[in-house]
Amino acid sequence: MEPLKTEIVVLGAGPGGYAAAFYAADKGKKVVLVEQHRRLGGVCLNSGCIPSKALLHSIQLIREAKSSTLRGISFDEPRIDLARMRAWKESILDKLGQGIAGLAQRRNVEVLHGRGHFEDSRTLRVETAEGQKFINYETGIIAVGSKPAMPSAFDLGNKRVMTSTEALELEEIPNELLVVGGGYIGMELGTVYATLGSKVTVVELLDSILLGADPDLVRPVMRYAQEAFKEVRLKTKVLKMATSGRQIKVTMESEKQRTEELYDRVLVCVGRVSNCADLGLENTKVERDDKGFVKVDAQKRTADPAIFAIGDVAGGALLAHKAAREARIAVDAITGEASSADAFVIPAVIFTDPEVAWCGLTESEAKEKGMQVQVAKFPWSASGRALTLDRPDGLTKLIIEPETERILGVGIVGAGAGELISEGVLAVEMGATARDLADCVHPHPTLSETLMECAEVFYGYSTHTFARKRTGTLLKEAAR
Amino acid sequence: MDVKLPRLGEGADSGIVVNILVAEGDQIQKDQTILELENEKAVAPIPSPVSGTIQKIHVKEGDEITVGQVLISLVEEEAAPQVSATGKPETTFESSKGLPRPAAEAKEEAVLAKEYRYEAKSGVPPPASPSIRKLARDLGIDLTRVQGSEPGGRITLKDVRDYIQRLQQMAFEKRPVSREAFLRPPESIDFSKWGSVTKKRMSPLRRTVAARTQEAWSTVPHVFQFDEADISALLEMRKKYAPLYEKKGARLTLTALALKAAVVPLKKHPIFNASLDESTQEIVYKEYYHIGVAVDTESGLIVPVIKDVDRKSLFDLSRELGEVAERTRRREVSLGELQGGTLTISNLGGIGGAHFTPIVYKPQSAVIGLGQGTLKPVVRNNQVEIRTMLPVTLSYDHRLIDGADGARFIRDFVEALQNFKEENFKLEGK
Repeated sequence: MEPLKTEIVVLGAGPGGYAAAFYAADKGKKVVLVEQHRRLGGVCLNSGCIPSKALLHSIQLIREAKSSTLRGISFDEPRIDLARMRAWKESILDKLGQGIAGLAQRRNVEVLHGRGHFEDSRTLRVETAEGQKFINYETGIIAVGSKPAMPSAFDLGNKRVMTSTEALELEEIPNELLVVGGGYIGMELGTVYATLGSKVTVVELLDSILLGADPDLVRPVMRYAQEAFKEVRLKTKVLKMATSGRQIKVTMESEKQRTEELYDRVLVCVGRVSNCADLGLENTKVERDDKGFVKVDAQKRTADPAIFAIGDVAGGALLAHKAAREARIAVDAITGEASSADAFVIPAVIFTDPEVAWCGLTESEAKEKGMQVQVAKFPWSASGRALTLDRPDGLTKLIIEPETERILGVGIVGAGAGELISEGVLAVEMGATARDLADCVHPHPTLSETLMECAEVFYGYSTHTFARKRTGTLLKEAAR
Repeated sequence: MDVKLPRLGEGADSGIVVNILVAEGDQIQKDQTILELENEKAVAPIPSPVSGTIQKIHVKEGDEITVGQVLISLVEEEAAPQVSATGKPETTFESSKGLPRPAAEAKEEAVLAKEYRYEAKSGVPPPASPSIRKLARDLGIDLTRVQGSEPGGRITLKDVRDYIQRLQQMAFEKRPVSREAFLRPPESIDFSKWGSVTKKRMSPLRRTVAARTQEAWSTVPHVFQFDEADISALLEMRKKYAPLYEKKGARLTLTALALKAAVVPLKKHPIFNASLDESTQEIVYKEYYHIGVAVDTESGLIVPVIKDVDRKSLFDLSRELGEVAERTRRREVSLGELQGGTLTISNLGGIGGAHFTPIVYKPQSAVIGLGQGTLKPVVRNNQVEIRTMLPVTLSYDHRLIDGADGARFIRDFVEALQNFKEENFKLEGK
């Protein structure tokens, strides 16, 4: 059979892969997009960002209804119809998946469904439902993503031991749920199950949940978790699991104390591994690092000059928006435009309750690197909008370079932090100073005001707080 | 704050630290000398711009340092906030607490464009919007070399444009041939093959003298004109007035007399007071008479300039010359005092020897060399007389000056010495 000839083949149709395929097609390239799953969109759309946010939105009302009693509106106990919840969630995924397929079609991006396997640096074999197909390409882009890690000690072949993928299917609401790993996935899904009625126990190996976020941003989430979850156990290691009837017997160790407990289900969220096994990479010059991620340069080119790699499979932050940006970088490089991943800001959002979001430099990072920075903080208890939303548990902070007053990082915890962080991204990317942020009028009453007031805190004249110590040079501008 | 080596003057962008006058932990005052820098032809004191306590000294004696290099770090003295009549505290802010510097210093910065490099303490790249960064990537421009004009040093499109235009301008500017280039022989010679040797690094002063003379020698077509001046009468007068000058604190030297005398032919033959502007092919006639005087110092030749010689009395010239020469020997003259000469006089008479051929000190067009005056039998009015004769050499740039003019000039100079008016010696009202 005559092999298919194309300029670019993209392997994997997640947020990195389809973005690369579309961008290359928009630039006039002939593109083939290969995806093994029926629905396009990758982990993000099928078993990651989108379904988890759909569930988090659904359950939000339960919490709202509970706290609403104090505000004078009460509801009866909620009745939960898991089938409808799943169906609603699925309908979103279908809509988005079809949307991507439609966009591919309109761009003349050919979509091949099947597993891809590299025969050599310029040939990809695809196992489609209609049999093998071969693609001869000029440039390949690997965007096969990652999947939840499942340590062999936990892998019992028992459906009661879940990864995030299964947990998002919401088969049942277990009575006792153990979440292994207090990272963002564990905390988000723990929140879903706890709100739906599970007794959730989170165990975390380290001494804090949400590794990577500044401790002051984690604190409100920890407070929520301590109230909503049965328990959050830090510095605890899960040693082994075993099937015990309709339950899972879990052995844990905390400060040399070994315990055995029974759980109805266990959710394992201990990290993610790259999907590049069985891709035939050994037939190319592509190299991988010791964690199994594909090694790439600043332009996302692998050790094989004809092959690029973007997104989770190329390591770094495993985030959809990072993959999408890398798609642009790789395609720009392929089409001969100067581009590189020069220190752009990748914001991070954790959709816990409250949400945590940050971008640029974090306070912890500055401390680790011994950088001299100043941190301005504005507590949401001083924000009128936060009080009207009955969410005073937030905090907005700016990480500022003292000599230039430039904003190097922004951190937010609080309701809707994920939406608020984008202003911080703009500020950091534009090289804005705290003065710029303080001088931009923010509408009242909104949560976005906390960013402006935080910049004012730096200069010592925030209206709604009183700063004993001013850090910025308040009169510098006025003196000019 | 970090105290950096400021720009000292034309061409003076590096030097060697010869003396550090402060120590870590010292409390120093504003304008107090931090260190001395041997720089071109002078040893320049580098003062502190602020008062404070020295935390760290970043250089050591013998270091070659360049403009912008950090010399010391100090903790500034806290200026007590002044309270104005309205009762509001007025706080002053040090504008240069660290790199990058704000726009207010943009003018000064422009001069330093070549040396500029963005260095944030936090190590982050310079602030610029993503679109500007993309542009810089496309053009291959290193943004750390571009000075941002906006708050916090943010780089705008205009800054990038200005930077590129400046680069282009510089690329097409006629650049003087590197003076250092003359000095580098292609290969090192191993003299120790023929006997024992000691090696010593050329001092900056030696390098400057070497570079300047070599450049002048290879670009200026020299003509040398010799003559002798009968200075018997002049010496008589000097003998008469010297004690008087001495009393007033001035040494009446032959160099001072030659300074005074040189103005006469200079005024009569303006081309000797002119310079050739090689880049524009223009002859620049100067309407001032600043005469350089070669001074022999322990480290080598230095030529301080006596300004406005035509407007100064012999007494003033004598006193100034003595004072400047002394400071030159102590290497305390400023760079400014070494610049702007229109003619140079080199008097080796004090040491000995007759005629010698001094090299024109570019961009001047002529130099006068004086040997040692000696008693000689001279025919005067058909009689052989014993007179004191001073060997005089005029070296000049043939590109500007022809032989006939040279002869005329040296005759007029000799005449000026021979017919030196006694009234010149008088101390008016002194």
